[in-house]
Parts: sequence; structure tokens; C-alpha cells
Amino acid sequence: MKSKIIIAIVALVIVALMGWGYYSTAQHRAHGHASELNPKETIFEHLGDAYGWEVPFNHSARIPLPIIVWGQDGLHCFMSNRITDGQTYDGFKISTSEEHHGKVVQVMEDGTEVRPWDFSITKNVAGIIIAALLVIWMVMSLKRWYARSGMKAPRGTKGFLELVVDFVYGDTIRPILGKHAPKYAPYLLTAFFFILTMNLLGLIVIFPGGANLTGNIAVTLVLALLTFLITTFSGTREYWKEIFWPEVPMALKCPVPMMQLIEVLGMFTKPLALMVRLFANMMSGHMVVLVLVLLIFIFTNLFGVGVGIGTSIFSVAFTLFMLLLDVLVSFIQAYVFTILSTIFISMALVEPHHHEAEPQQEN
Amino acid sequence: MELFTPEFGLVFWMFVAFLCLYFILAKWAWPFIIKSMEERADMIDKGVAYAQEAKMHLDNAKTEADKLIAEARNKQNEMLRDAERMRNQLIDDAKGEAAVEAKKVTEAAQISLEQARKEAEKQLRTEVGDLALQIAEKVIRKNIASDDAQRKLVDQYLSEIEAKN
Repeated sequence: MKSKIIIAIVALVIVALMGWGYYSTAQHRAHGHASELNPKETIFEHLGDAYGWEVPFNHSARIPLPIIVWGQDGLHCFMSNRITDGQTYDGFKISTSEEHHGKVVQVMEDGTEVRPWDFSITKNVAGIIIAALLVIWMVMSLKRWYARSGMKAPRGTKGFLELVVDFVYGDTIRPILGKHAPKYAPYLLTAFFFILTMNLLGLIVIFPGGANLTGNIAVTLVLALLTFLITTFSGTREYWKEIFWPEVPMALKCPVPMMQLIEVLGMFTKPLALMVRLFANMMSGHMVVLVLVLLIFIFTNLFGVGVGIGTSIFSVAFTLFMLLLDVLVSFIQAYVFTILSTIFISMALVEPHHHEAEPQQEN
Repeated sequence: MELFTPEFGLVFWMFVAFLCLYFILAKWAWPFIIKSMEERADMIDKGVAYAQEAKMHLDNAKTEADKLIAEARNKQNEMLRDAERMRNQLIDDAKGEAAVEAKKVTEAAQISLEQARKEAEKQLRTEVGDLALQIAEKVIRKNIASDDAQRKLVDQYLSEIEAKN
């Protein structure tokens, strides 16, 4: 009985939204704002970064965000709503050219567009800050629980947080890193919770979420770079020896340094794989959802409203499925990033094997 | 290809944000959380071990108590049996003694009775003899000259009667 009511409400909301969307599109057309549907542009707009943050049910209004640029003549700061509608402010505008599409550029006197150093708080930067604050709030609330309640077991959300911390630290980091675990755990746990929060925020379609953070290569680049730096700087003598003088037949390492080449390449491919894995997984999830939703509009344009309604039922069902799958993927990818970083660090902390000592011990 | 070229500003801010997050959490949160969780895990482990030990002790105590109770019951049974045996023996002894005593009393009574009878018989004999003599004297006073010869005769007769009896 209860489930029937919920289904009825959901169906009603979907129908109402469809009707409202159809009505507002018709209004748009009537006012002469008709624009051709461009699926590719829409998808890349949603996947990419933006100056300003969209609000639901409105195509023009955006939450303004600060733009900070270092142009030819020094630092400029202003809010994004001064340029998001195509205006030029203080010599800056959002480019429509092929080269700098959608980015802030400085218009020079001869009309050429020059890209300044862009430190703007874009939608993604704002999303990162929100995610970071959320992580601080979550983790600090858990810490406060321990500080206040001592040995009592946390309940509810904090209990779940503790479960996740225990899963990541107790079942992954500690068994792999052993006695080094406390030293590297803060980085790995921070990375895990930050990635997880960013992943999940990306799945929420309206304001505090909706930024495709971990599906952006810049974000995953930083994360992978940090793992690379930690791995490289905590490498032991044995780690470097295995790279530059591995225990292989002499012909493989001298005079042609074949193994060395492979090992050095390996140093870089490992974090590169980390970067691409997280990026590709999250971006593809978002892309599939976007395509499924766009199918409704494409079919409506092609075959009319009737087919569009039919498609929407199919699309909404699949979108729901994809989003739920993405929740799972969010956890899995955050965990995979963490466990692989842990393994890379543990490989850098390798100790000499004592090949010669072992047979003597047996005798 | 725009998707695959990292934006400088975003890299910069991500770096700053991550480092801030890292330093805040690494300084104030993670070590404390990990320490607390491990302490609690230790405490729980110890608690479980303690409970197991306590249960073991309890089980042991139970078996020991059962053993004690069984032993006590055996002892009790044994004591009851001893008491029974002793009582029976006492009764038997008492019976035996009483019998001996009774026998003695009876024998003594028989002996005294015999004696009394013999004496009575003797007395009776003398008295009967006297009586018979007196009667005979009275009867045959005149016929019999000597007393002594007649007395002998009476005695003789009496002995004959007695022998007949």
C-alpha cells in the first residue's frame, strides 16, 4: 500500500516536471529564444567547468562566483555574473573562439584573445572547497565523538563513518604497510574521504553538488601527483636499487639499460594509471547519465512528444539505475585509489630480501 | 580534447585545498581517531578474553561443585549404611546378651526350685513318716512291742513307695 503511494507520487512528479518543461520550452520558443539542441555541447558543458553555478529549473540564472585572473596588467578580481552573459568587463570576457572556448580571456587592443593566469573560483573549485569542508566536518565530528564519549561505540552516521575508517585503515592500510601505517595513514585516509565525498557530490544534480569533480582530469592529476611524490620521496635504497640495478641477467641491464628503462617508465605509469582510472570511471558515469537524459530531447525533436514521453520512461529508469551504480562506483573508485596508493607506497618501502642469508638459516 | 587537458587554476586550487585538508586532518583528526579506535579494539579484545576466561572458570566451578555434591552424597550414603549396620549389630548384641542373661536367670530359678522341691520332699517324707508312725502307733499300739523295729518297717515301706514313684 505504502509503496503504491510512493510510486504514484513519483509518477505524478515526473509527469508534472515533463509538463512544466514542455510548457517552459514553448514559452521560450514563443519569445524567440529558440535554440537548436546540441547534444555534444550540452554534454561537454555539463562535464566541464564553468564560471558560476547553475540553479535548478532556470537556464539563465547562475550563482556568481569570484573570478581571479592575473592578466597582462596585473591582478583582476570580479564576480562571474559580470561576464557570463557574454559581456566584456575590465577587458575580460568568456571566449567563444575555438582555441579558448568557454574560458576567461583578456581582449588585447588589437582584438586578439590572450589567456591570463586563471585562479578563478570556478564551479569545480567551489565544489572542491565544499567537499573539503564537508570532509572536515565529517571527520571532526567523529573525532569529537571519540574525545567526548571515549570508549563508547558511535551510532548512526558516525558509526557508519567509523566502519568506513576501520575498513580503510584497519583492513587495508595497516595490513599492507605494517609498522609504517601510522605515518602514511593520514594521507591515505584524507585522500579516500576526499575522493569519496567529491564522487558522491558529483552525483547530486543541484547546487552543493553537480560539479563533475573527480571526472575532471585536473583533480585526479593532483591526487595522483601527490601519491607519486610520496612514493618517490619515501623510496628506500632497495627501491632505487631495484629500479637502477635490478637483479636480472646482466645482458638485460648492461650495456643497453633495458630494465632500467622499463622500471623508470613504471614509476610514472603507476600514478598515471591512478589518474586516468578515477577520471575515466567518474566521467563515463556522468556521461552515460547525460546521454540517457538527452535521449529524451533528441527523440522528442525527431519524432514528437509522444515518442519523447515513451523514451522518458525508459530513460528515467536507466538513469536511476546508472546513478545507483555510480554510488557503488564512487565507493569502489575511492577505495581502489586508496588501496593502490597504499600498495605503491609499500612497494617504495621495500627492504632488502636477504637472498643469500636464507639457505644458511636452513642449515 | 578539452576534457583531457588539465586546467592550471583548477590544479592549483585542488593542490591548495588538498594540502589544507591534509594538514588539518593529519594534525587534529586522524591520529586521534586511529588511536581511539585501536584502544577500543584492544579493550574489546581484552573484554572478550576476560569473559571467556570467566566462563571457563565458571564451568570449572560448576563441574567441581557437581563433583563435591556427588562425593558428599556418597559419603552420606556410606554413613547411613554404617549407622544401619551399627544399629543392627547393637540390637543383635543386646538380644544375645539378654538371652544369655535370661538363660542364667532361668537356670538359677530351676536350681533353686529343684532345691526347694527336694527340701520339701525331704520334709514331706519326714512328716509323712512321722504322721504314718503316729497313725500306725495309734492303730497298732498294743500290738507292737518295740518301737524301733516298727519304725524300721515303716521306713522300709516308705522307701518302697518312693521307689515305686
